[in-house]
Amino acid sequence: MIGPTSLHVRSINHKNAPTEVREKAHLDPERAAELMDALGGHLADENHVPSESEHGCISVIPVSTCNRTEIYLEVIEGTDADELLRRGLAEVGADADLFFSEHATSLQGLDAVRHLYSVSAGLESMMLGEPQISAQLKDAYRLARSHHEPGPGLMRAFQGAFRAGKRVRTETRISVGAVSVAFAAVELARKFFDKLCDHRAVLVGAGETGGLAARHFLQHNIGNLTVVNRSLGNAETLADTLRAERKAGLDKKAGKNSGGLLAPAPDPQGKCGKISVRPWELLTEALAEADVILSTTGATEPVILPDMVEAAVARRKGKPLFILDIAVPRDVHPDVANIGNIFTFGLDDLDGIIQGNLAARAGQLPHAQGIIEDELKEFQRWLEEIDIRPTVAEFKAYLEDLKDKQVGFVRKKQSDEVAAAVDRSLQQFIKKVLGRSVSTLKNAQTKEERERDLETLRRIFAPEDRD
Amino acid sequence: MITMMSVFKILMPMLYLVVWGTYIWLFYTDHPTARRLCTRFAMITVIMHTICTASRGIILDRLPMGAPAEFFCALALAMLATYLVIEIRIKAKNTGFLVTGLSFLFVFVGSAFSTTSPEVSPFLNDPGFAAHAVLVLFAYTAMSLSFLFAMLYLILNRQLMRHQFGLLFRRSPSLEVLERMSVGAVKMGVPLLFASLCLGHLWMYDLADRMDSEMAVMLSPWDPKILISWVILLGYSVGLLGNRFLGWRGKRMNIMAVVAFFTVVSAMGLVYHFFPSFHNFKSNQPISALSGFPETAAQMLALNEEAGR
Repeated sequence: MIGPTSLHVRSINHKNAPTEVREKAHLDPERAAELMDALGGHLADENHVPSESEHGCISVIPVSTCNRTEIYLEVIEGTDADELLRRGLAEVGADADLFFSEHATSLQGLDAVRHLYSVSAGLESMMLGEPQISAQLKDAYRLARSHHEPGPGLMRAFQGAFRAGKRVRTETRISVGAVSVAFAAVELARKFFDKLCDHRAVLVGAGETGGLAARHFLQHNIGNLTVVNRSLGNAETLADTLRAERKAGLDKKAGKNSGGLLAPAPDPQGKCGKISVRPWELLTEALAEADVILSTTGATEPVILPDMVEAAVARRKGKPLFILDIAVPRDVHPDVANIGNIFTFGLDDLDGIIQGNLAARAGQLPHAQGIIEDELKEFQRWLEEIDIRPTVAEFKAYLEDLKDKQVGFVRKKQSDEVAAAVDRSLQQFIKKVLGRSVSTLKNAQTKEERERDLETLRRIFAPEDRD
Repeated sequence: MITMMSVFKILMPMLYLVVWGTYIWLFYTDHPTARRLCTRFAMITVIMHTICTASRGIILDRLPMGAPAEFFCALALAMLATYLVIEIRIKAKNTGFLVTGLSFLFVFVGSAFSTTSPEVSPFLNDPGFAAHAVLVLFAYTAMSLSFLFAMLYLILNRQLMRHQFGLLFRRSPSLEVLERMSVGAVKMGVPLLFASLCLGHLWMYDLADRMDSEMAVMLSPWDPKILISWVILLGYSVGLLGNRFLGWRGKRMNIMAVVAFFTVVSAMGLVYHFFPSFHNFKSNQPISALSGFPETAAQMLALNEEAGR
């Protein structure tokens, strides 16, 4: 059984450290495992109860992503957590001084837990409310559990953090709305079309930006994606890559693995996400058939010209055509915007959408913080009860022991039915006595009063006093 | 009876207000709780209002649509019920604040000016006429909703064209959904209007059989109001067919829906103004001194009964 513990966190994140510092502080999974072995290093006993290491550390959970490296520690109260961490980091060859520089923040107790909850909810993320951090925290927790059983405090804190994160994401709109250019493009397209699966997109250009935008459209199950590029070979290479990624994403989804950023939405009928390639000469035909045009070439002159679009519009029976020009310099001739039923958007428009969404997310902060405070109260209640649990368990064992003796005595004198009835009755009695005792202990006005009550209970019913 | 009606008079606007409030909450915050509750509240309100209307009908032994106040309440119910069907079919809730707001306005006016037993036409006791009137009400309500969704489409379309990404952009459904809602409303309205016209004809012939020949001649299928209703039905049917088979979509289709609605309202207004005939159901209108013919169907029926005696 471990005694009272305290929680600590050391954090290097995008708010207090530049990229180069965060790069140096990054702990890859191997090094994180080594740190856990160096500091914790003690597997749980056969009852899954963790024990402290010789230096007083109960458990350690490192979390390292591109925007933050944080080390959560649970130590026996009174242990110098900073010294412990410094030694551990030095032992695994990490730059320990970095974690004690002006780029690192240190929190402990409830503040550390509040920070963890905020991180889990995406409130500490660079893009407010981003959802990936939740999966990254879960991965870190899973890795830690595979090395050693986390201490009760850290275990409870992480479980609370996952719950808080989930509540914030479901009960607020903190994660709603695109905050990246590629996703904003999809969001904009969805203002025109309800189900992208019923529509056709043309990607003009096969560069990196185009690939990213195409991935987002495929993630949202665009029906058909046609890649048109001056170099047909490059278009085919991109199409092959996208096909392979989509297949892998769908397989992963079917296997219930944690879907990555671009894991596609379920497509049980396999109707969506068809990828094809067309030569540059057929661009006008492709425009006529498409509902969404994504233009991302590196051309220095516009490649989508008014006469091409007018020819396409004539064949569209009044259906709107959504053209997104995310190339610099622009790919779409400015006069195209004047053609009826054509909607052209550029990078400035997408930026406007992103800024609007970020402002809307920021508006959700008070609600999200309220949820975190709610969950913190829950954690605090648990923390307050944790010290009474061992004594209550001893008291319960004592009462159970007494009951068994009494039932044994009755069984000798009476029938089994009578003994069973007495057993049930005493069980109820124990439940009521325990319930009353726990509530009295919980309702103690001060910490001292509670300790006094606990001491009295221990003195009366301690195991060594049993007859 | 009076107590029960008084309770309904207070309860109904409150229920509609709650529904409207929830839809406004949803539109401004897109809160998941609002999303979950709004349809449920709307359903409860429709059920309660239907029970209330049915009870009123049973108590008064007639269709409770005779007085203007009663008509406004019935219009509110028709509007909310029709919207609810469209919302559930299309699965888009963010336009609800408009429809429920209008419904609240109608039910509020209806409740505020309602009387316990207004003087109404005896035709409202007739089940055939009651069914015809209810169908007409629902049909035109559906057409009105089509207009409303088409207007929203055109507003959003304009905002997108001008690159304005405000609250409407963030909260409203896509153009495609708005178009589906508008067309969906017409798809509901057309069969309802057709059924109501057919039922109206049957009822008219049935009524003619019960009257003497001189009076029966008044009940003509060539009544301008009936003719204009057939023209409206034809117009909307052509629109639907064009949408289905000729690919009439997008801005053009929605402009047509708006124009169609304005045409319906103007045509109906003109016809009612210039041809006030038997589609007027007030019981206390004077008989025209010039023509010698009764101005209302109620008067016609009363005269017929008198002649029979």
